[in-house]
Formats: sequence, structure tokens, C-alpha cells
Amino acid sequence: MAKPRRIDYSSVQKKEPKLKPGAKLWIKFTVAVLLVAFFVIMILVGSPGLGVSKVSDVKTGIDIRGGVSATLYPDVDDIGSVTDEQLQTIQGILENRIEAKGTFDYNMSPDYENKRLLLEIPYTSGDDTNPQKVIDDLGEMALLTFQRWDEEKYGFDENGRFVFLVEESEMKDDDIILDGTDVKDAVAMLNREDNSYMVALSLNETGAEKFAVATSELINRPIAIYLDDELKSYPFVSSAITGGEASITGNFTIEEAVEMANYIKYGALPFAMTAKEINSITPILGESALNVTLNAAFVAFILVVLFMLFRYRLPGLVASIALIGLVASEIFWISAFNASITLPGIAGIILTIGMGVDANVIIYERIKEELKGGIGLDEAIDVGFKRAFSTILDANVTTLITGAALYIVGSGPIKGFALTLIIGIIMSFFTAIIVVKYLLKALASVKTFQKKWLYGIKEVTK
Amino acid sequence: MMELMNKKNYFFILSAVLILIGALFLLINGGFNWDIQFEGGTIIKIEMIDDDYDATAAEADIENLLGKGVTVQKETTFNPEDQESNLALMSIKVSKENTLDSAEINQVIDFLTESSDYNVQSDTQPQIQSVAPFIGVELRNKALMAAGWAMLLIVVYVGIRFRVMSGISAALFGIVALIHDALIMLSVYTVFNIPVNEVFVAAILTIIGYSMNDTIVIYDRIRENSAVMNKADIEKMVNTSIWQSLPRTINTLVTTLLTITTLYIFAAIYNVESIRQFAFPLLIGLTSGSYSSIFIATPLWMMWRKYRIKKKLLEAK
Repeated sequence: MAKPRRIDYSSVQKKEPKLKPGAKLWIKFTVAVLLVAFFVIMILVGSPGLGVSKVSDVKTGIDIRGGVSATLYPDVDDIGSVTDEQLQTIQGILENRIEAKGTFDYNMSPDYENKRLLLEIPYTSGDDTNPQKVIDDLGEMALLTFQRWDEEKYGFDENGRFVFLVEESEMKDDDIILDGTDVKDAVAMLNREDNSYMVALSLNETGAEKFAVATSELINRPIAIYLDDELKSYPFVSSAITGGEASITGNFTIEEAVEMANYIKYGALPFAMTAKEINSITPILGESALNVTLNAAFVAFILVVLFMLFRYRLPGLVASIALIGLVASEIFWISAFNASITLPGIAGIILTIGMGVDANVIIYERIKEELKGGIGLDEAIDVGFKRAFSTILDANVTTLITGAALYIVGSGPIKGFALTLIIGIIMSFFTAIIVVKYLLKALASVKTFQKKWLYGIKEVTK
Repeated sequence: MMELMNKKNYFFILSAVLILIGALFLLINGGFNWDIQFEGGTIIKIEMIDDDYDATAAEADIENLLGKGVTVQKETTFNPEDQESNLALMSIKVSKENTLDSAEINQVIDFLTESSDYNVQSDTQPQIQSVAPFIGVELRNKALMAAGWAMLLIVVYVGIRFRVMSGISAALFGIVALIHDALIMLSVYTVFNIPVNEVFVAAILTIIGYSMNDTIVIYDRIRENSAVMNKADIEKMVNTSIWQSLPRTINTLVTTLLTITTLYIFAAIYNVESIRQFAFPLLIGLTSGSYSSIFIATPLWMMWRKYRIKKKLLEAK
């Protein structure tokens, strides 16, 4: 049997002459252990300072929590005419509307390239709000229009009271004077004359012009205010309004006035938005899927560890320790990036448990080959790592490329998968060349751990 | 050491037959079975107290309500609160031409909840997936683009890294293996008529990465051996390289298959549709990926090298 040869540490010793080669090995060993311990402790207890939560508190995606995701599209013929500013305005308005409904846990993000808004509302247990209804109402809201009615459809009775001559639903002619884009602001105000509330409007320049023309023609006649097809009010014009400031009076209570002002202000979408893609997941199904997937992950992990121990013995044990670090680090980074754990994400972790040991397999097979070739253990480990390095690098880069492609085009849950895949690949690379190498080299320097059977070799064939 | 390379034609034929079967089914089925995610349409799943309800009547009622054709089916799923029982679901499916909008979806849900004919579980959220057809097509194109770009980038990367081993040609044969894997996965999907969706594309992309990874390990061995072994006997060199990297190929296949099979079995036992949808294509792809690296990419590259060497010799004469 060839004696294990010493690695030449002369260059190292020059820098740190006090350290013996063995001490250096064990320092690295400790570093590797601490690294694994760091990730494990982090996900067990969390660290607010690093922005990392413990594993049970990591955000879960709506495919687990339940909830609704929707893609809202502008309801216009030429989608290319929608500007980024318009999209931003709409986003602000819709956010106000969602919050007005008492829903604060949501996420809305604009997609400027495709002119749309992505909305996610997770289900909150104990909260009666049905996310699906929230999205529906958003879609129902509302194009604000000030309209002129056909004068033949209304009149005044003998007491001078205003009356409809047709059904209310038939009044609407879509003869639009102003729409929401013409309104700059709307606030509820107290009308000092009769202590009722009114809504004060201020119009922008084009709005003021249009309003001046219309009000001069409609003195003592009503202007109908519609939100989509719903008649909200029909105040009467007392005099031509030229300054761009108008008020809607009508003996409103304060609540009514505030509601009207909000409708006008928040209803001032340049165009309606409709949900063209809706995904709603029940929390109960998400939860059951989570349990099943976690159990699968646990069993898969155990099986891989058993396989590695059976196939590679001592290095297999080292790989298993590194694997714990790998899984912990994946959860750590998901939390640190403030990403959500999704079901495909967990599937990604499970996949990286299988694929992550690949780097070890490549290295260990190499070490075995070198050992069979008859060289010493220490050298075999060095050669194994050195020769396997470029293979591992090349192999990982290709998986990274596909992971990146997935991350760029994938929707929510798939992004979760791509993220865990990418993190898994990168971390498995580092755990293999740092953690596994340091642990293995230090252990191999101990006489007890130098027996060939510990490395899956029966005998040395020369 | 068994000679693998002289049996290469059998492997080519096996793969060709599998892919042809897929193509045949594609013709019979008249195209891929696109998931509503890639085509448009609506699926609503509502939790029921039990499966004692009339699905045909529900179908008629909802068609009446909306004036649109729907399909209603009974389904069950795993109950997380009680391992012994299953949850009953009513699944309402609407084709792409009739994709429901948000208001119509609520109309259906309100109708079923309020109707006394159907024992809808109160205070649960229905599961809804609704995609307008144009978004489906957009998603599908985007996914295909991603797969295309990923392949292109891999060719470039492998080409650069493997200049020693006749560079781009090695990468191209690696890509042939990737296309082989994607085709095998698609064949299985068409034969079993499984809907193709984003999850499937994600699985294909994962497999592309994995399969290339596998091919690279073998190529790497060839690159290493070509420096020390006799280049003239290329067949022997390739064969040796395959056998040398075989333990790694098999062991990595075993560990990945172990994990994904576990995931698949769990998903199948507990009827977790979304996970099964993910694990199944991965299982096929992993197997195909390892197979194609050894039996497709490597022999093809070897044949190309032999052809080039022969041509060079002829030119020299």
C-alpha cells in the first residue's frame, strides 16, 4: 500500500510560519463546519438584522397560502397607445381602491413592456374578504363620465319637479361631456348655505373648456354623472361654469359626499382595466399540497443520504453534511431575497437535493479511480478535486443558463422553481469545492479515517 | 468492457421509434393538448360537502345561466385535515372560445353557493384558473422563446469551452441530444394526451440543463483522454471515456431519480395534481437525458469525427 503523501505547504508556511500543516487543515475544517452551522442556525432561528426569517416564517406563495393572482389589462383597442404614466396612475388608483376595501396584504406590480398590471392578493385566514371578489369589483370600477341626457327623455311636472319620462335605465345616451381624465381633483365639502355636503371638483384645462361650453347650454338642466353604466347623480346647472371649478350639490350627507368624491377621484381611470387572467387557489388545497411536498422532500433527502452513505461511505457522510448546508442555504437565500416559497420552488429544492450531490459524485468517482490507480489518499483527494473542477463548472453553467431563462420568462410559481434551481446549483458548487473539500481533507488526515473501505474501495489493484 | 459504440444503430432506432410514435399520436390527436394556460379558457373548482350531486344537472344549469357551453366533472383531492377521506370537488371547465370574465366567474360561484340543489361547502374559496386566449398564446410563445434562447446560449458556451474537442460540433451534437430529450418528453405527453403548460416547459428546460450537464461530463472525459490516448482509434477512446464516466452518470441518475420519484409517488398517493404535473415530465426527462448523453450525443459526435478524419486522410492522398 502506498503511504499517504504529504502536500507541500511550504508556500503557506511562509505566510503563517507558526501554523503546522495539520493545524491549517483543522482550521479549514472548522470553517466548513461553521459555514454549514451558520445556514442551519439561520433558518432555525432567523436574523432580523440580515433580513432572514426562520424557516416557518418564510413567505409562502399564493399557491400555498391560497389567494388570487390576476393580470389586469387596459380595456382599449390600441394597447400600444397606453403610456407608462397612465399605467402608474391606474396602479395608484387601483391600490387606493383595494385598500379602501380593507385589503392591505397585496402586491401589485406594473409590467410596462406588456402594458398590464399584475395583482396578487393572498388569502388571510380569519378574514372574510374573498380575494376573488376584490378583483371582480376592481374590474367593475368604473369609467367616470359626465353626460348630457336627451331633453325629450325628461321634463318637469306641474309642481316644477324634475321627472324621467322613460325608465332610468333608458336615460343613458353616452353623450359624453367630460370623462375622468378631465378631473384634477374632487373633495367633499360643507355647503355653508344649507349645511349639507357637496363635492367640489377642479378640472384641468381641457376639462374646463369642455365644461364651460356644456354648462352654458344646459342652464337649469341636469348633467348626469355615470360610473360605467351606473347613474350616480344628476346635479342641475345653475349657471355656466367657466373657471374649471364646479360643485355638485344635492343635499348629500358627509358619507355620501365623501363616497362620491372618491368615486370621481379614484374612478378617474383613463380607461377601464379588466382581469384577463385569473388564478385563484384555495388555502386548503395549497396547505395539503405543502404538507405532501414537505414530506416528499424529507423522504427524498433521507434516501439520497442513505444512497450516498452506502455508495461512498465516509465521503458520503461528508456529502450528506454538505447537503444539509445546501438545503438550509437555499431556504436562507429565498428568505434573504424576500422571495416566496412556492410548490414548484420546493420541487426545485427536492431536485437540487438529487442534482446537488452530482458534484460530489463526480469528485468521489474521481477519487476512487485515483485510489484504484494506487496513489495515496491525500493525493487522490487533491487530484480528484482538481480534475473534477472543470467538469463541475461546465456542467453547472449549463444548468444555470436554463435556470436563468426560466426565471426571466416564468410566472410566479415557476420563478420560484427557477430561483431555487439557480441558488441550488450555485450553492452546491460552493459546498462541493469548499465544505466537502475542507471536511474531507481534514478527516483524511486522521489515521482512523484512512482505511480504504471507508472510501468504497475493496482492495488496491495495482 | 462492452463495446457500446458498435451497437449505436440500435439506440438510434429505439429513439427514432419512440419519437415516431409520439408524432403518430400528434397526428391522431390533431396537435398538442394545450393547457388552458397556453390556450385560454376557464376552470373553476368548488369544494363540495360530498360527491352526492348531479354533475349533468349542474352543467345544464350553468349553461343556462351563462349561455355558454361548460363541462362539469366530479373530482376528489387529498384532505389535509383528515388523511382517511378525500375532498369532493366540482370541476367546471369552459373552452377558450367561451373564456369567462371575472363577473361571470362570480356569477357561477354565487349561483352554485345559493342554489339548494348543490351541496357546496360554505366559506371555502373556489379554485379558479381563467386565461384569455391571447394571453395563453403570448405565454406559449414566450416559453418557446425561452427554450430556444437557452439552447442557443448552451451551444455557445459549450462551443467555447470545448474548442479542444472540435468545439461547436461537439456542442451541436450535445444539442441534438437535448432536442431528442425534448421530443421524447413531448411524445410521452402526446401519447398520454397530457395538457402542455408552463410547468411542462419548466420541466423541459430543467432537463435540457441536466442532459447537457450529463453530456458535458462525458465530453470532458473524452477531452481528457484525447490528450493521453491514441487519437487514431477514436472508437476505443470514446468507448473508454463512456465507461469511465458511467459510474458517475448512473449514480447521479440514481440520486436525482430517487428524489423525483419520491416526489411523484407522494403526489400520486395524495392526489396533489400540481406536483404530479411537475414530477412526471421530470421523471421521463431525467431518464431520457442520461440515455441520450451516452447513446445519442456521444456516438453522433464520434461518427462525425471519424468522417472528418477520413476526409482529411483522403485529401492528404
